[in-house]
Amino acid sequence: MKIDELSLIELAEKISKQELTSFEVTKFYIDKCNEHSDLFALLEIFEDSLDRAKEMDEKIKAGFKGKLAGVPVVIKDNILYKGKKASCSSKFLENYVAQYNSTVVQKMLDEGAVIFARANMDEFAMGSSTENSAFGVTKNALDPTRVPGGSSGGSACAVGAGLTPVALGTDTGGSIRQPSSYNGVVGIKPTYGRVSRYGVVAFASSIEQVGPITKNVKDNAYMLEVLAGNSIHDETSLKEEVPNYLSYIKGDISKLRVGVLKEIDEAVKGLEVEKSYKNAIKFLKENGAEIVVTSIPSFNLTLPCYYIIAPAEATSNLGRFDGVKYSRRSKDAKDVDEIYFKSRSEGFGKEVKRRIMLGNFVLSSGYFDAYYNKAKKLQQKLIEEGKKAFATCDVIVLPTTAGEAFKIGAKDGDPVSMYKEDLFTIMANILGVPAISIPFGKGPNGLPLGLQIVADRLNEGTIYNVADFIESKGGEYARL
Amino acid sequence: MNKTTITTDEVKRLAGLSALEFTEEELEAFVPEFERIVELVDEVKNCDIGNSELKYTTHKLCGCREDEAKESLPQEEILLNSPKTKKGSFCVPKMLD
Repeated sequence: MKIDELSLIELAEKISKQELTSFEVTKFYIDKCNEHSDLFALLEIFEDSLDRAKEMDEKIKAGFKGKLAGVPVVIKDNILYKGKKASCSSKFLENYVAQYNSTVVQKMLDEGAVIFARANMDEFAMGSSTENSAFGVTKNALDPTRVPGGSSGGSACAVGAGLTPVALGTDTGGSIRQPSSYNGVVGIKPTYGRVSRYGVVAFASSIEQVGPITKNVKDNAYMLEVLAGNSIHDETSLKEEVPNYLSYIKGDISKLRVGVLKEIDEAVKGLEVEKSYKNAIKFLKENGAEIVVTSIPSFNLTLPCYYIIAPAEATSNLGRFDGVKYSRRSKDAKDVDEIYFKSRSEGFGKEVKRRIMLGNFVLSSGYFDAYYNKAKKLQQKLIEEGKKAFATCDVIVLPTTAGEAFKIGAKDGDPVSMYKEDLFTIMANILGVPAISIPFGKGPNGLPLGLQIVADRLNEGTIYNVADFIESKGGEYARL
Repeated sequence: MNKTTITTDEVKRLAGLSALEFTEEELEAFVPEFERIVELVDEVKNCDIGNSELKYTTHKLCGCREDEAKESLPQEEILLNSPKTKKGSFCVPKMLD
């Protein structure tokens, strides 16, 4: 069997048993990445990766055991790996070198991973197409004329094109799930706080999470177990014990209560995803799940709520990029004010500037109560509505996106249309609950569509059970 | 629906708060685009959520760690990413004459 036909779990097992070496696996993937460089999924393949792979092979021979022993991994370009660049796909941080390891990187290294490349993304994770990268547009893994989604477009494309067995993404409003859907792969946004954000460049700190993107559900469950857990450096990371997520996968959904939101009935009508969404509900019902019509009455306000909270936090988080401490300074700056104004104006791209401006708008005197405060109250209300909804069901299913990946350039000059890409995904970020996207169904051009499975806080195990059931048994519907 | 009007002066004020510069040409394109975005977030401003108060932080925190002194990153490493340094400090143009 070819290396890229092996799942992450199979690969980890074969390397551990020394049936394959980390060196040959890592080299295979590096060569494949170079062959497919036209996809522009990756910004850099780390030079010392093969040395690290050799080192892991030696350690494995000497008895090292780890869940990712010798396994190659790709990280998104906003995750710090000591001594490596982390540019957030921004000119501002083009030459920024990480001085310490993020918690997720450290956890993967402790398990023996070979982190071999960093993936392209929308600048500072702001976008839904990876077209906002300062360094170039990533192509969709299945159709190079289309976007890979975003902001974790490079990570999802890399997994979709078989350039890596696993990649990390970050998800602030759908940035793992939407690109996963567009590239036909599996991506989860865990419960807020389940995975530490220490060492991940902050965009909207109160709603974002790191999560794995993989080829299948079991690999995803396996990987989340590595990433999850408390970090003393991150007050928001949860202390709850990390379960063995694979043990939740039972192959049975007969007692499951599946919620469908009445608020999206109208929204899905006429969308490319309508048929596959309805097929998913039909499939779950046919397999013994109870379908419960449930409600999050303020669902339709999640999108505008997000576009207040996220930019407000972004504007504060990006305040640190002042041309003094990090990376870039304008050559034309003659005094301190000019250092700030010129460095930021030259260093940030259009979308980042838009969000900083919006953040300052909703936070500024005269508008703070009407926008920011109101949005936080609305978020509180939405969390209560979510609790009520999850009292009636174990999971909620909804589409990941309205349709298949759109053409590169199709939403140029129309930021609001781009923002609406996240219509179905933002809810999970606002509520702080976990949500996965798995491939389910095909669009009019035969490209993949995604199905989201959302659960209450810390119920990733339930999500994986349902997702695996659909993935392994829903084949007939999933192909439609 | 109560629509918020965005003027060029308002955008200039926000640019000042944001430490960003826009050329006149950029401003011309930015104002109508920004107005459409504000129209989207106006849905929150105009919605009815009753007289609720912000009661709690939206997410559970795990508390602070013990206040123990730990080693920090070395000064030389911190300065490596700065565009200009001098004698162990970040360097900026003269502020006072």
